[in-house]
Amino acid sequence: MADEIDFTTGDAGASSTYPMQCSALRKNGFVVLKGRPCKIVEMSTSKTGKHGHAKVHLVGIDIFTGKKYEDICPSTHNMDVPNIKRNDYQVSLFTDGAFRQLPNCCHNDKFQLLQVN
Amino acid sequence: MNNASMPSTYSYHLENQNHHLLFASIFWQTLACSILTALLSEFSSSSKTSNIGLSMEFHGNCKRIFQEDDLRQIFMLTVEVLQEFSRRENLNAQMSSVFQRYLALANQVLSWNFLPPNLGRHYIAMFESSQNVMLKPTELWRETLLDIRVMELFFTVHRKIREDTDMAQDSLQCLAQLASLHGPVFPDEGSQVDYLAHFIEGLLNTINGVEIEDSEAMGISSVFSNLITVFPRNVLTAIPNELFSSFVNCLTHLTCSFGRSAALEEVLDKDDMVYMEAYDKLLESWLTLVQDDKHFHKGFFTQHAVQVFNSYIQCHLAAPDGTRNLTANGVASREEEEISELQEDDRDQFSDQLASVGMLGRIAAEHCIPLLTSLLEDRVTRLHGQLQRHQQQLLASPGSGSIDNKVLDDLYEDIHWLILVTGYLLANDTQGETPLIPPEVMEYSIKHSTEVDINTTLQILGSPGEKASSIPGYNRTDSVIRLLSAILRVSEVESRAIRADLTHLLSPQMGKDIVWFLKRWAKTYLLVDEKLYDQISLPFNTAFGADTEGSQWIVGYLLEKVISNLAVWSSEQDLANDTVQLLVTLVERRERANLVIQCENWWNLAKQFARRSPPLHFLSSSVQRTLMKALVLGGFAHMDTDTKQQYWTEVLQPLQQRFLNVINQENFQQICQEEEVKQEITATLEALCGIAEATQIDNVAILFNFLMDFLTNCIGLMEVYKNTPETVNLIIEVFVEVAHKQICYLGESKAMNLYEACLTLLQVYSKNNLGRQRIDVTAEEDQYQDLLLIMELLTNLLSKEFIDFSDTDEVFRGHEPGQAANRSVSAADVVLYGVNLVLPLMSQDLLKFPSLCNQYYKLITFICEIFPEKIPQLPEDLFKSLMYSLELGMSSMSSEVCQLCLEALTPLAEQCAKAQETDSSLFLATRHFLKMVFDMLVLQKHNTEMTTAAGEAFYTLVCLHQAEYSELVETLLSSQQDPVIYQRLADAFNKLTASSTPPSLDRKQKMAFLKSLEEFMANVGGLLCVK
Repeated sequence: MADEIDFTTGDAGASSTYPMQCSALRKNGFVVLKGRPCKIVEMSTSKTGKHGHAKVHLVGIDIFTGKKYEDICPSTHNMDVPNIKRNDYQVSLFTDGAFRQLPNCCHNDKFQLLQVN
Repeated sequence: MNNASMPSTYSYHLENQNHHLLFASIFWQTLACSILTALLSEFSSSSKTSNIGLSMEFHGNCKRIFQEDDLRQIFMLTVEVLQEFSRRENLNAQMSSVFQRYLALANQVLSWNFLPPNLGRHYIAMFESSQNVMLKPTELWRETLLDIRVMELFFTVHRKIREDTDMAQDSLQCLAQLASLHGPVFPDEGSQVDYLAHFIEGLLNTINGVEIEDSEAMGISSVFSNLITVFPRNVLTAIPNELFSSFVNCLTHLTCSFGRSAALEEVLDKDDMVYMEAYDKLLESWLTLVQDDKHFHKGFFTQHAVQVFNSYIQCHLAAPDGTRNLTANGVASREEEEISELQEDDRDQFSDQLASVGMLGRIAAEHCIPLLTSLLEDRVTRLHGQLQRHQQQLLASPGSGSIDNKVLDDLYEDIHWLILVTGYLLANDTQGETPLIPPEVMEYSIKHSTEVDINTTLQILGSPGEKASSIPGYNRTDSVIRLLSAILRVSEVESRAIRADLTHLLSPQMGKDIVWFLKRWAKTYLLVDEKLYDQISLPFNTAFGADTEGSQWIVGYLLEKVISNLAVWSSEQDLANDTVQLLVTLVERRERANLVIQCENWWNLAKQFARRSPPLHFLSSSVQRTLMKALVLGGFAHMDTDTKQQYWTEVLQPLQQRFLNVINQENFQQICQEEEVKQEITATLEALCGIAEATQIDNVAILFNFLMDFLTNCIGLMEVYKNTPETVNLIIEVFVEVAHKQICYLGESKAMNLYEACLTLLQVYSKNNLGRQRIDVTAEEDQYQDLLLIMELLTNLLSKEFIDFSDTDEVFRGHEPGQAANRSVSAADVVLYGVNLVLPLMSQDLLKFPSLCNQYYKLITFICEIFPEKIPQLPEDLFKSLMYSLELGMSSMSSEVCQLCLEALTPLAEQCAKAQETDSSLFLATRHFLKMVFDMLVLQKHNTEMTTAAGEAFYTLVCLHQAEYSELVETLLSSQQDPVIYQRLADAFNKLTASSTPPSLDRKQKMAFLKSLEEFMANVGGLLCVK
């Protein structure tokens, strides 16, 4: 099965993202940071001066590479949210050494396959 | 061993020292002072006292003997030395260092925590910290401390060294202690008056006409604060009138001056905010002083209040009216710093200051209310003009880059503070109480109501778009209503700027202030309830009383504001939150809700929210949840049946429909992780929590039935989303909220429905967690959210045993289909199932997280109290871990947890007594607990608050294990070598059980035992407890 599916990149078909107001993003949700689909692991707001408008500080982990990305933007801005499709698969057989190669989102004998449409 | 032997040996040395010290060399003086200081620490029985293995009682006796005799001699000696120093001119460095040591010694004596003649249970408090001790010596100190020369000496000393930062701290602390003198040292009121008069004279002589040093601010404010807190009002007013006036004038002057210096500190961003702290303290003293109209005639403090109020306003306004952000030399500083979301809002950070200033503003309402009005009206006009200029500029050259916002920011900051002060002046913070219009404000409005033209007042109120001064006769309006209308004018300028597409120029902070104020105001004034007041102002009653056009208009206006804010400010979380809170305020009282639902806007809002379309779905989840709560609350306003039907069709049904549409799709399993689907599910779950939050006794029947339909489906979702923790948590949260808000109202069969649903939820959760390991070593608290929520759910289910309103089961009349004949699931089943699930997941490491720890112990205590009979039936390893948890809780957790564990022991021991099995593991466990509680009560220092819980557990355990108890007593007695102590202990133990022999689990005997235990503690408690 693993031979047929590419785990590192998704299939970038049509309409791979949709816009969402920054303030409506949630921790554990997804967002595109620096062109990469990321899972949001940290979200905080700040403002410049007491009468300034809110800015959102986002930290995300690339869902494929695990690399960390950060961005800061006005909370009124629209951000791109990747269309993530998630499938859970049951692992039925391990060959020697395969376990170590699984992405770290694995729980026990299950792993998730994330894919950008 | 003679208890008194220790102090008496010192007396001899002291007397000798007395004579020689004054003439000794600096070396000897320093040495003597060090010895005395160490001596004081040793006798003070504070945390500084070293652990030398002597009983508390011994420490107490020594301390008492010491404080009456030697301590006084040390003080007199110190006074003499200080006298000598104060006379000398030009002290060299070495001498001043000695001087400083003696001053610190004097401070130590004056801060002595005097033991009362009868120690009683105080021995326990003896070793508590000695912070903020007020000076309350015994009668023997009368001659020493009431000697005016002593007090004068400390003033003299302070005048001499006030420029020395370190020494001034000590000398002011001495003065602050002398300012707190009270108790038996004063033979009568006259002597107290004399003392106070002299003290105030000395104080005024010391600080009047001199420039206060930075390092003096805190100390001086403590002196004032102590005088005002400690001396009774009748003593304060008994001193010569002129002196008292000078005192209050001086307080006023200092308050204003400290306020200005505090503002400077803020501009300079100093780390050490000494003036701010001193200012806080003085404002607090004002609050104590003015809240007494028995001793001071009305208006006594008005002029002072005006001054303090004015200076506060001045410090918070920009130039030219005020001095905000001006450094000492008049230069404006302006910095745009990054402010994180964790920074507290001014209204919370400065709530104490604002409360005092608001109170002073009420006292001087005649001055302050018109002042705030005119300042606000002026700012509104300027803000309007400024925004218009910006708009023209933008129209003239679109995209011309950044505009300097300095003028706008200054206006926003002015308005910010003016709104905060107005909010605190016009209304109180209320939590759980019925908010009332402050009497001063009411009186002020009534007093002027004859000069007021009601129609013009209503016109001012109802035309926020126009300048107040453009309305003819604007000066004959009710001032309080005009102040409110000034804020509505700010709000209107904001709304218009939004309509003109200038939102980016507006301040979200000001937006927040506006809705915060309106909420505070609406709670107190909107639909004012005449029954709550002796007399009511006619303008208030006409403008926002029940059944008035005014109130209907205001409700409509506020609703429009809410809707506009939710649309425009969805990106500003705090502002949206304050806005939705205003909405809840509008609908949470039935009378107001009746007006709200008459607005078409309200129905539009409901429909819009049900459609889950922009802009409302941009709002954060917590705001959406509260919005749902408000919409549900509004649905219980008075409507005819058809309208009500229609409303629920608009609000609740779409929620259900959308939800069913999503989950009933054939391919739901496949698409459930798609963002869109997940969002829909999350939004529904959040809404369900909001609905549960809206539960009140009169709507629980409808809401429960509605929510129950969802709960079953939610369990299905648990399965679908088992690998998506945030969704699982949200599902459990729905159950937690339903149980929390509704279980207390549910009758038997409804409760059973809920128990069943919860049990199924737990079963699914358990199945999905089987074999799951949490491998993350850096796990944080929020990763155990599910565990916390499960424990919360179980605790909520159990709470029905304590709080149950369902006897008055009228709410479900017509809904309940007879009694539940075959009760299939009980609370015990669910909770014990849950405990079986939770206990193995808890570990000692997890108990390090405070929230998990507290919830866990709350849960197990509830279980022991409610189902003690189920405890022995637990599987062996669970039973063991439960007992171990109790032991751990009693020995190494916080005192609250310890208290909970003690409370759990009583029902467990009672259960054993009932079962009469002497070989059960619970019986054996309780024997171990007897020893633990015995040690805790008799041998260890423990919190006095715990004595009752410990006593009850102790008695029940003693009943159960009488032989073991006798053995414990025997062992303890046999280890005593001193025959006197042996006898006292033996007698005390005999007396302890005398009233309850043989001990039996009878309430009367138990109470008698608890009483004896108290005497026992007072009598011998200090004997065995060792420091």
